[in-house]
Amino acid sequence: MKKLIFRWETALLAMLVVELAIFGIVNPRFLNLGNLIYGTSDFVQIGIVALPLTLVIIAGGIDVSFASTIGLAAIVFGVATFYAVPLPISIAVALVTGASCGLFNATIIHLSKIQPLVVTLGSLYLFQGTATVASGLVGAGGYEGIGNFPQAFNAFGYAQIFGLPATLVLFLALAAVLVTLLHFTRFGRAVFLVGQSESAARFAGIPVAKVQTITYVVTGLCAAIAGLALSAYFGSARVDLGSATLLPAVTAAVLGGASIYGGQGSILGTLIATFVIGYLQQGLQASGVSSQISSALSGGLLVIAVAMRQGSALLADFIAVIRLKKSQTALTSGGK
Amino acid sequence: MLDLFARNRVATLLVILVVAYAAIGAAAPGYLSGATASTVLASSLVLMLISLGTMVVIVTRNIDVSSGSVLGLSAAVLGLSLNAGVGLPLAVALCMLTGVAAGAFNGLMVAYLGIPSIVATLGTLGLYRGIMLVMTGGRWIEDLPQDLKALAGNLGLGFSVLTVVVVAIIGGLWLFLRRTRFGRFFYAVGDNRAAAHHLGVPVRRVQFSAFVATGACAALASIVYSAQIGFIPNQAGNGVELKAIAVNVLGGVSLLGGTGSVAGVVAAVIFITSIDSALVFLKIPAYWNDFIAGALLLSVLLLDGRIRQVIDHRIRARRYAVHDRTPVVEGRDQTSKALEAGL
Amino acid sequence: MTKDLAAGRVAVLEDIWKSYGAVPVLRGVSLALGAGEVHALLGGNGAGKSSLMKIIAGIIPANSGRIEINGQFLTHASPALAQELGLYLVPQEAHILPNQSVLENICLGLRASPRALRPRVRTLVQELSVAIDLDAQAATLEIAERQIVEILRGLVRDARVLILDEPTSALTPFETRALFDRVRKLQMQGVGIFFISHKLREIREICSTISVLRDGIIVLSGSLDDYNDGEIVKAMSHVQTSAEGEKTSILAKVAQIGQPRLSVRGLSGEGFRDISLEVRAGEILGLAGVVGAGRTEFAETLFGLRKQFAGSVHLDGVELSQRSPRLCIDKGLVYLPEDRQQNGLFLEAPLFWNVSSYLIHRLPFFLRSSQERLSFDGFRNSMGIKCTSAGQAARGLSGGNQQKVLMAKCLSARPKVLILDEPTRGVDVAARNDIYALIRTLAADGVAIVLISSDFDEIEQLADRVQVMAFGQHGGALVDDISVDAIAKLAFGASEANHA
Repeated sequence: MKKLIFRWETALLAMLVVELAIFGIVNPRFLNLGNLIYGTSDFVQIGIVALPLTLVIIAGGIDVSFASTIGLAAIVFGVATFYAVPLPISIAVALVTGASCGLFNATIIHLSKIQPLVVTLGSLYLFQGTATVASGLVGAGGYEGIGNFPQAFNAFGYAQIFGLPATLVLFLALAAVLVTLLHFTRFGRAVFLVGQSESAARFAGIPVAKVQTITYVVTGLCAAIAGLALSAYFGSARVDLGSATLLPAVTAAVLGGASIYGGQGSILGTLIATFVIGYLQQGLQASGVSSQISSALSGGLLVIAVAMRQGSALLADFIAVIRLKKSQTALTSGGK
Repeated sequence: MLDLFARNRVATLLVILVVAYAAIGAAAPGYLSGATASTVLASSLVLMLISLGTMVVIVTRNIDVSSGSVLGLSAAVLGLSLNAGVGLPLAVALCMLTGVAAGAFNGLMVAYLGIPSIVATLGTLGLYRGIMLVMTGGRWIEDLPQDLKALAGNLGLGFSVLTVVVVAIIGGLWLFLRRTRFGRFFYAVGDNRAAAHHLGVPVRRVQFSAFVATGACAALASIVYSAQIGFIPNQAGNGVELKAIAVNVLGGVSLLGGTGSVAGVVAAVIFITSIDSALVFLKIPAYWNDFIAGALLLSVLLLDGRIRQVIDHRIRARRYAVHDRTPVVEGRDQTSKALEAGL
Repeated sequence: MTKDLAAGRVAVLEDIWKSYGAVPVLRGVSLALGAGEVHALLGGNGAGKSSLMKIIAGIIPANSGRIEINGQFLTHASPALAQELGLYLVPQEAHILPNQSVLENICLGLRASPRALRPRVRTLVQELSVAIDLDAQAATLEIAERQIVEILRGLVRDARVLILDEPTSALTPFETRALFDRVRKLQMQGVGIFFISHKLREIREICSTISVLRDGIIVLSGSLDDYNDGEIVKAMSHVQTSAEGEKTSILAKVAQIGQPRLSVRGLSGEGFRDISLEVRAGEILGLAGVVGAGRTEFAETLFGLRKQFAGSVHLDGVELSQRSPRLCIDKGLVYLPEDRQQNGLFLEAPLFWNVSSYLIHRLPFFLRSSQERLSFDGFRNSMGIKCTSAGQAARGLSGGNQQKVLMAKCLSARPKVLILDEPTRGVDVAARNDIYALIRTLAADGVAIVLISSDFDEIEQLADRVQVMAFGQHGGALVDDISVDAIAKLAFGASEANHA
């Protein structure tokens, strides 16, 4: 029981409740259940990439290229429908594109042995550039969208499953799968161990490169899913669909408890953090703060949260040392 | 050969640059002109300042992704105070102060609170941009006074006051990092933090100073930016931090800290800016820019990584070869016998 | 203060206490060092020598106690302050800045620029008669050269107090002699030196006073001439009595040693050449040698972590050609790595994750952590691992308990051949005896054991047979007359011969 209370996820949940309560006081209409549920459509894509990103970070890597992968997968889908490729095949092609982006990242990282941040920074440009070029080739110009999707596809953006928006259901289902994968399977254990010590993992015969590659591929795949969901929601595929997800998604993973040094993190934490960030943006907007400022303030939230965690760790260390000193003086004086 | 390219990134970049210039010059004869040179120089200034600032932090084995927002924030301070009737010198001072304070906050979190630099600066990337937007109310700052814009005015040969300042900073930074005791500490901290601590280097103070320097550079970049463009949009400086990191990597600054030279960064900035200007000159559609930049960066990274591995492998082989040297007497005998037999 | 300086004392330690977490390492240590004194500091692994020296050098803070250097108090733990007061610690493992030149490495932290110091450093290099290129990149240096860089750092600083932490462990006898000449010169100039070493012969050669640390307390201190070697060794280890008895029981067992389990023929790889050995079921083979002799490289190659250049490895008569750690674990060839913190343990992970990590590929896809916990609790009881729960992070344990967890990790893989690389490094005496007993039990159960150690006492106590590696090659074998002296002769012998 004590453990449950002191878990970071519990703190996050409390943060979410406090946040909703404050916005509810400022603007009572904000706390309408329908609003809260349908509001998720505006930020659920952040969560869809933040969840697999958590895996990457736990395994000791980082990926910032997903922001472009979202756009690239969407554009590839758009180009495919432009050439009247059947819908299922277009979707499949987009998903394969996303997965290949992840595979590409992992391959470069393992070939060059260069830090993942740098490599994915490069591919952030490359994927965005590829998407821009691809959309330019079909005459959609730089940042204009490709539209005219089949009706069935657009409908998904507004579809409901069990009374919930389809994208939210998709997000929760993804979270369920990843929670199981990370916390209850052999693969998840390997992800944690690789992130904690790559060399100890190598000595224990754990296939480090393979485990890390899978996390990048899953991230690419999920970025493609987010790209498709966003295209359906907006009715058009654009290159910059994902650019606004970069900072909030990394924030969600870190706020959710993922250690940038690897080896620590939780899917549940990222899930809750996504809602904290998403509702923060919406609540600020509902309170009359412009959307630009609210999205920027999520950065402030990250700083505060991390500083708080760091501060509490320092405090705990400090207390431990004082306790030790006390017990030691007792020991010394006892000895004399 | 490999060693040369790996050790001497500046030379490598210059060679590629000369080849590229020659190729573009052959394809479009009007390109190689004084006008191009002065355009490249002028448009490289903002990236130059941000990249140099970022380099100082990277050398100490940290990273700063907030400098684009620091640029925006200090530009807003500059623009707002100018438009409120504050004189240019005081406005510039306030702007610099903002940059230094922003950098100091980053430094405080990283050096003294122990927050990983990527996380801390990712947070302030959003935070500083947010403060800027609150200050400007989301509106662009226009109608900047003429004396600010005059700073970017041509003094001849494409040099402006700002260019002179930037060149002075390049020289000063080079001297500081290479020739001063405190400057060498930056490399030491990035190279092996524990060793630096052991040898009495004030590790935290060095890390903190690096972030402050980055903030100051970003503030200076914001002055250049405002003077050159003449107004301050909301997204001023957006994304320049990623470009600066890319430039650093291209210029041979290792993200693992401890290596990198001012010359390499300067060469890389000129290189990147030249490519951009060449694309414009060759009338290649703008949508190729990101693709080419990304492809270029990744190829350099891949090449660089492979070269490093080859060199590491050689160093390792050399280290282990020592054991083969131990049966010296025996070995020498055999060689001499073999030589005798051959003779 | 003035009293100390008048009495010629350059360093005084008073009642130093230190503990890591709940583990005490120093319990009220007091020491004094006079000008021109070379003071030997001895103690087993984990006795607290390194912590004590790091505290004097300001690298880690003490929990309590007073430190005085050259008549001035070390008010807070700061290496810069300690160096300003005139003290330098030459650590056992050199701190190297890999991307900088040798000269820059030596001069970092000094007021003068490397350029100005070059002539001085060059003179010191000549006096030490070592060959080192001041402009080489430090990353390319070998272990011995790195050690020389550290020694030069101490000399160029004009320290009044020098701490030399096993300075000769990586040096050739020739370089050692030059270093000792230098130490004697410093001694004449009134420099006080703490000299940490395991080699009694060296200590006799240059030290005048001695202190022995055991379990965080000084158990013997005084003029070196007042003690014979036996007394010093006895002071260092507290369980001296049982060793005889254990040895005989092993001798009784030798008769029952069974089939050859592991046989290695002509194995060559990075850092070693042409090593052959054979271990039988129930046998403990000691693989001795000094640091850098290539033993760890050999073991890592055997375990499939490094490339093999030549040779063959047979396990129970079946050749293992394309070895990987996973294949080796599956076949029953299990390796306990030398570097516990880096390669052995996942420090932030729960203990039961650590123990099952060698078998992760054999766990069910959907984990059943209750079973893993149960299996950990089994090891916990049988090995006496002191911890709060199976879910505790490994970092919180003491060195000895961490090492037991690492042993449990190896045993969970049910080894037929167990390669133990320095199994008691940094382990306290009690845990060490537990580990020794465990190793003997394993051998009695028919496991073939290769014991790699640079602690020759340990090899003497445990091994049925000894093979020595020196400079990456076979340095000799011992069967009947296993003694520290005999091992040392073989381990160092090759190098002596080279320089003679």
